[in-house]
Amino acid sequence: MKELIIALIAGVGAGGLYAMLGAGLVVAFRGSGVINFAHGAVAAYAAYTFDELRENGDVYLPWFDPIPEFGFLKTLRINNLPVKLHLGEDPSTWLAVAVALLMSAFIGLLMHFLVFRPLRNAPTLGKVIGSVGVMLYLSSIIAVNFGGQNRADVGFGGFTTDSPAVEILGGTIPRSNFYLLAAAVVMGAAVWALYRFTRFGISTRAADENEKGAALLGYSPQFIAGANWVLASVLAGAAGVLFIHKTQPALFVLFVVPALGAALFGNLSSVPGATVGGLLIGIAASGGVELADKGWWPAWLPAEGVRNTVPLLVIILILYFRGDKLPIRGSISIGRQPRAPESNNVLIGLGVCVGIAILLSNIFVSSWEAILTTSLLATLFMFSLVVLVGYLGQISLVQFSLAGVAAFTMTRLAADGTKVRPNDFFVNTGWDLPDPLAALGAVIVATIVGLVVGIPALRIRGVQLAVVTLSAVIALEDILIRNTTLLGEGAKSTNPTPEPSWFGQYVGAFNPDTNRTDYWKYTAFLILAVSLVGVAVANLRRGAMGRKFLAVRANERAAAAAGIDVSKTKMLGFGISSAIAGIAGVLFAYKLPAVSSDNFSVFAGLALLAFAYLGGITTIGGAVIGGLLVAGGLSAETLGVHFEDIDVAYINAVGAIGLIINAIVTGGEGIAMLQTDQGKHILAGLRRDPTIAPPDSVLNLTQEEIQGDVEGALV
Amino acid sequence: MTKNILETDGLTVTFGGLNANDSVDLAVPEGTFVGLIGPNGAGKTTFIDAITGYVGMSAGTATFDGEDIGALKPHERAGKGLIRTFQSLELFEDLSVRDNLLVAGYPTKWYTFILDMLHMTPKNQEIEERVDWALDILNLTDVADAMPTDLPHGRRKLVGVARALAAKPKLILLDEPAAGLDTTESTNLGRQLRTFLDHDMSVFLIDHDMGLVLSVCDYIYVLDFGQIIAQGTPAEIREDPAVKAAYLGEQAGEVQAQEADRIRESQQEEVPS
Amino acid sequence: MTDTATTTSSSAATGETLLDISNLSAGYSGVAVIRGVNLHIKSGEVVALLGPNGAGKTTTLLTVSGLLKALEGSVAVLGAPTTFGAPHKTARRGLAHVPEDRSLFFGLTVQENLKLGLRGSRSEQAAGYETALDLLPALKPLMGRRAGLLSGGEQQMLAMARALVGKPKLLLVDEMSLGLAPIIVERLLPIVRDIADNTGAGVLIVEQHVHLALEVADRAYVMSHGEIVLEGAAAELMERRDLLEASYLGGGLEEDA
Repeated sequence: MKELIIALIAGVGAGGLYAMLGAGLVVAFRGSGVINFAHGAVAAYAAYTFDELRENGDVYLPWFDPIPEFGFLKTLRINNLPVKLHLGEDPSTWLAVAVALLMSAFIGLLMHFLVFRPLRNAPTLGKVIGSVGVMLYLSSIIAVNFGGQNRADVGFGGFTTDSPAVEILGGTIPRSNFYLLAAAVVMGAAVWALYRFTRFGISTRAADENEKGAALLGYSPQFIAGANWVLASVLAGAAGVLFIHKTQPALFVLFVVPALGAALFGNLSSVPGATVGGLLIGIAASGGVELADKGWWPAWLPAEGVRNTVPLLVIILILYFRGDKLPIRGSISIGRQPRAPESNNVLIGLGVCVGIAILLSNIFVSSWEAILTTSLLATLFMFSLVVLVGYLGQISLVQFSLAGVAAFTMTRLAADGTKVRPNDFFVNTGWDLPDPLAALGAVIVATIVGLVVGIPALRIRGVQLAVVTLSAVIALEDILIRNTTLLGEGAKSTNPTPEPSWFGQYVGAFNPDTNRTDYWKYTAFLILAVSLVGVAVANLRRGAMGRKFLAVRANERAAAAAGIDVSKTKMLGFGISSAIAGIAGVLFAYKLPAVSSDNFSVFAGLALLAFAYLGGITTIGGAVIGGLLVAGGLSAETLGVHFEDIDVAYINAVGAIGLIINAIVTGGEGIAMLQTDQGKHILAGLRRDPTIAPPDSVLNLTQEEIQGDVEGALV
Repeated sequence: MTKNILETDGLTVTFGGLNANDSVDLAVPEGTFVGLIGPNGAGKTTFIDAITGYVGMSAGTATFDGEDIGALKPHERAGKGLIRTFQSLELFEDLSVRDNLLVAGYPTKWYTFILDMLHMTPKNQEIEERVDWALDILNLTDVADAMPTDLPHGRRKLVGVARALAAKPKLILLDEPAAGLDTTESTNLGRQLRTFLDHDMSVFLIDHDMGLVLSVCDYIYVLDFGQIIAQGTPAEIREDPAVKAAYLGEQAGEVQAQEADRIRESQQEEVPS
Repeated sequence: MTDTATTTSSSAATGETLLDISNLSAGYSGVAVIRGVNLHIKSGEVVALLGPNGAGKTTTLLTVSGLLKALEGSVAVLGAPTTFGAPHKTARRGLAHVPEDRSLFFGLTVQENLKLGLRGSRSEQAAGYETALDLLPALKPLMGRRAGLLSGGEQQMLAMARALVGKPKLLLVDEMSLGLAPIIVERLLPIVRDIADNTGAGVLIVEQHVHLALEVADRAYVMSHGEIVLEGAAAELMERRDLLEASYLGGGLEEDA
């Protein structure tokens, strides 16, 4: 009991961080109506900037040099985009703090002017995509600029690793935990006072509530939005710098999840509420982790899982019961979705794609096997997004985790307790099922988990669903993937895959003889799977159920009026999509000698979503293009031949930029749609189609307001 | 007289203390054409929303085809043949006009998606024919394969009506179908609406275009401030002084004074201090 | 529907032109809801814009403020053209627009709402504050209350006061009487007359209560189906109730009668 109380008190440390980040999320939301998934990434960038400056005296600007320095470009001394600035040896801590905060402010400005201002009239979907794009971009840029190496920043002021311990109830808690609590409270109070007493703050609250009213009084909503973006980013930066002594800066990116829980606790509008919410989440998580150490705690629920499940539970509960009361801004545009045309020449397209794939595969002697299968796997996975996000309009960020669940479940179901390959470190025990059955079981498990994850979607939609599914990613990873009790000893590092044999044929990609992943039967097996699933997904769009999917996506109200059971339809979509994700997960595992949770990380999932959008989320063709674009896939590697080693992070950063531009320019339609007439207009910059032109009213006029006039006067 | 396909008894809808519909008693006899008129904000759309399950009733009952439908969800009510259109289009914009209609009519089972994936869903001839008929009756056959967004506003409006027709309604509830139509279109629509009665359905029309309502309805209810202030045949309604007053916005003070009090009360309840 | 009655200009229209709408068409999604609207307001004038529901009155006002894009024609507010998409710029030049929904900030107190309407130097702010509260003294005891807790009439007073504290040169008031008891409207409407007389501001009111509106206005325009079908001095329109009725009830009654 005493330990529990100590743990609960110690939780104010992490709670303070969540509170600070949550307050920043509220600020950004009040200023612009955007739920900023990239908020944690801003904190991470600031923390890295701080550390890098202290360690090496360098500042990295938040972009990368698009012109690689090698070969003739180097000799030409083309002046590249500056990225790294040297500020001198051993700068003072306070300079580092100041620069880190300035960097955050700068990132806030960039986000406002380059992403969210252009998206101000976009439907919710566009804003979510933009925000996810920024998150992916910043985390990729962090990987590019700051590399993968560990940081060991000791912190500064009272916020240090060697912070003296405070003794409570015989236990010890670092004093810095209380400093973090104090910092969160001070920050929350400062923002609260700003919103309460200054004209800027009052106008922000005013514009948040009624943008039109504020504009009619002479306040520019865009100025207010920009200023709040800067403020929110500075708050994120401060949180990053203050907390850096506790953790690796890279981890900040995903602290956006508990921060979202905190912000929702504050109803997305109250800074004090978010502060309290953040502290409570930190305290509850810390207490939960402590409990997980007890003997009676079920072993299948690991401590880390508890830590990450707390925010998920908070988010689901708040959204489920108070979701309809959240101030998600109403807008004149119901939210136009990217078009989802029927695929006409399914068989011809299939033939062409299979032909090309076979040409590139080892069947006709080629060294493209590994790259080809990467693209094929990505395409196969993207089919699950086509069904769920494209056809049904449910933005789910969790699908790739379901692929991971399937992959790990498959290894467990098929394992027989013997060493599979001589190099394997772990030996997995399991049910020793025949491979097809193990695969089927894995797909079923993924489908069931997907259905469970989909339950909130019955009441939660749009951006809120994105929030839930993002937090589900984090929780699933610890509960279902990195869970040694459920999935075997290797679950936390690498879990060996069985050598898959279907009906007597070895269909794995790993060739033990050559020690390479290029076995042709695997490629053929994968081509077959992609073809079958692709045709099925294309046909789904043409059928009666596909029509209902699109009807639900377009308009849930009208769908119900047409007699469609919206709940059942959504569940069906989650089920189909999760099953496809499961298939992709199993086949991904077949490619590798061992799977690790890193294969299914949240960033890998976001990158796949980004490229699926970039390719065209609504069509089979889009998934194929998306598959070609992914890091390690055909297009990236084709370029790689000419541009030396292109990092995965570069590709993902480019993908993120593409995703953002895609959201701004085409409303998320993607490359596959550029072949259509409308797409050509977009390309030509014409955009005269009234249905896609930006709305001619700048602000969120209420429906009633325009109704009267539109109805009566169209004569 | 025949039985009533739709009947409401004391139907009341309350939004935060304010009665948007106040004890509305209304009946649609089977096979007839009934209209509901009233100025903007009178509660007409709220009435349709309540009947079709989009807003909850706080008091009263709604009976459709002899069955109390108060507890059913919107799609279940639609399944019983109570089909509505929407004032603000609400079409499925990604589906062609024809598909918009097919969505409403096509029966699906849980396993339909499997047949879909194999491209083996059997064509339902009856539905296809019904869709053709609905397209034809509203002169939409030539744009069956177009996307709704490519059509002018007036024809989009008709797609909404056609979609409701395709869903095999026993009672079709039309929420301002003529709004946005030009005079010719509106007259044509009125003529078409009358013919609906020949196809085993009753019609309930909401509009604030007096001309249309007076010319096509058998019986008319007038709603103002959530209450039925008059009812009768078109001839009776035309002569009713209360109707004129409601439309000129010079309603005597009493109702509005009550209204102001209600607004005040509701806001005090709603916003915690 | 083109039976324009009289075009006599008003007696009060002597000052500079504050609002000049010429040949304006505007609407939503590229579809014109109002067409060929010509309308002007001079300093010290109260002008009523009348017409049945859906005639395009609100659309006209939204376009004046720059909330809607003009498809054709032009709008000049206080000597400069309205910029679409930047209503705040027009507002800073001295336009106050009280929209149909009042656009109050319910989460803010009465005082905070008013504070946002203030303009200019500290002394100008104080003066504006005083003028507004002198005209609407009922707000004085409500300063600390949240706008969402006010009654409909009080909300409308607050909306008016918030527009007035900034000492506007041109005031647009959309449907002041919506949801209000006539007795409150009778008390509120004359305020716009005072403002025009005392500050020289031009005022445009959109009203359902035709008679009340004509009592305070110098001139009036009547819209129907997106066009101005009638315009003239308020006193004259008062006499021609038949014309008004025709434009309100539209063809509906006539056709079948």
